[in-house]
Amino acid sequence: MDNSIIKITDLHFSYNGLKVLKGVTHSFEKNTLTAITGPSGKGKSTFLTTLNRLWEDVPGAALQGCVELKIAEKWRDVYASSMDIAALRRMVGMVFQIPNPLPMSIFRNMAFPLKLAGVKEKDQVQAKVQEALERAFLWDEVKDRLHSSALELSGGQQQRLCIARALILEPMVLLFDEPTSSLDYQAAGMIEDLLVSLKESCTVLMVSHYLDQVSRIADSRLELADGKLLLSNISR
Amino acid sequence: MMINRDKTFKTALFICAAASALATLLIFGFLLVFGLPLFKGGQFFLLLGRPWAPGQGMYGFLPMIAGTAAISLLSLVVAFPISLGVSFFLHSLAPAALGKILKRLVQFMTGVPTVIYGFIGVFLLVPLIREMFENGSGMCVLSASLMLGLLISPTMILFFSDGFAAVDKKYIQAARALGATRVQTLLFVVLPNAWRGLMTGLIMALGRAMGDTLIALMIAGNAVNVPSSLLDPARTLTSHIALVSAADYHSMEFKSIFACGVTLYLLNAAAVIAIRRFGAVGKDKAHV
Ligand SMILES: Nc1ncnc2c1ncn2[C@@H]1O[C@H](COP(=O)(O)OP(=O)(O)OP(=O)(O)O)[C@@H](O)[C@H]1O
Ligand SMILES: [Mg+2]
Repeated sequence: MDNSIIKITDLHFSYNGLKVLKGVTHSFEKNTLTAITGPSGKGKSTFLTTLNRLWEDVPGAALQGCVELKIAEKWRDVYASSMDIAALRRMVGMVFQIPNPLPMSIFRNMAFPLKLAGVKEKDQVQAKVQEALERAFLWDEVKDRLHSSALELSGGQQQRLCIARALILEPMVLLFDEPTSSLDYQAAGMIEDLLVSLKESCTVLMVSHYLDQVSRIADSRLELADGKLLLSNISR
Repeated sequence: MMINRDKTFKTALFICAAASALATLLIFGFLLVFGLPLFKGGQFFLLLGRPWAPGQGMYGFLPMIAGTAAISLLSLVVAFPISLGVSFFLHSLAPAALGKILKRLVQFMTGVPTVIYGFIGVFLLVPLIREMFENGSGMCVLSASLMLGLLISPTMILFFSDGFAAVDKKYIQAARALGATRVQTLLFVVLPNAWRGLMTGLIMALGRAMGDTLIALMIAGNAVNVPSSLLDPARTLTSHIALVSAADYHSMEFKSIFACGVTLYLLNAAAVIAIRRFGAVGKDKAHV
């Protein structure tokens, strides 16, 4: 049975003529964690942004090829004109290398995506905020300070907040761009456990520089080399 | 060596700051001293409320206060949405090349002499307003406010744009990745974090509007009465000073314009404080 949820066909990408992706073809399976590795500056982050169309904010960037997502058992072209970008980004969440909580309270950070999506009912917001924070292993640490600034949290807490914030929209795919590289060993360990637990509900793509991390948590590894993604071994 | 140079630099900066503060105080003192004949016996406060009728010994400048307040506030009302729109366009919609050209143009506009705006007002805007409303000469509060709004917009746009540009890109990216549209990103992320730039822009623009003399002098009509509609002519404190000081030096009229200067000074200070206050409240609201 075909269990794939993301299908990428002959994807090309360039910034102002600088070719970054040169014909990527790959399918990602549902509820797996795939690591993407490769040398710096070769297009790993760029590849992630082709899935949620975030690259479209960059002037001079251009994409060719096909990215499809299986939504409610139907394949949908991510770049079709009928695709609502806001809705796409609610289905394909992204967490960045440097934690990026907004300069507002913890609660408001969590409620922000709901506000964008038009969820107004207070009880519902409250419940969702708690649930997402619990799933990101952060609830116990912040439940008494929900209304203080998110910028006062430690780096690891901020990153878990960002993950929780992405989770609150119940995405089907989560993109992680080196989510632990700005964190210390212990905080990174927590995030790793969290990533593994996310597989239950999401399909996870993670860019990582650390092969040991990849071997600990990834189901498969893709190496980005020469503008293409190559299935590579995980040394255990 | 390093420390020494640092110290010299600090001292130099301190002297500059002190000099400009001193200059401001001196000007204020100078105005007070020369307006003294009118300040004696608390007449100053009577002046604020009275009409201007030098023939009857009345040197009140209520009409000019009303003129200044009306014209500068209206010009802010005109300039604020334009400036916000243009800065937003420059910040997140304009293609890079177009944005650069537009920004140059705006920078250039801040340097265009006021008299050019006044001139355009006289030959273009005033007849237009006269034709459109068929009421009066066209020299009125509305004409002056529109022209002044145009004059102060570039200043506002530059401050707003700098304020927008200073917002951490990380925040914008975060909002975009969560599905925020450009407008939502502007409203919920850029604006609240560009608050300082917005306030500074407002204050600078208001200062320009209140301090500007020529535009009101040329196209507001200069009538000495409290305007009761947009199409009424009005006289601002600044044009009043210009008009009276062009006359003679020894009359009581002339002495009264120092009090006029003091009033302008205080009015400006009050406006700045009001914006700051309002700004502080708004900022708290935006962040909780
Ligand atoms: N916004 C941009 N505008 C222009 N060029 C860009 C932009 N972002 C990335 N690039 C270029 O695209 C190439 C790939 O960048 P990308 O950030 O995707 O690499 P990466 O594999 O994620 O690197 P790293 O491991 O260092 O994060 C680089 O050569 C980079 O200079
Ligand atoms: Mg990267």
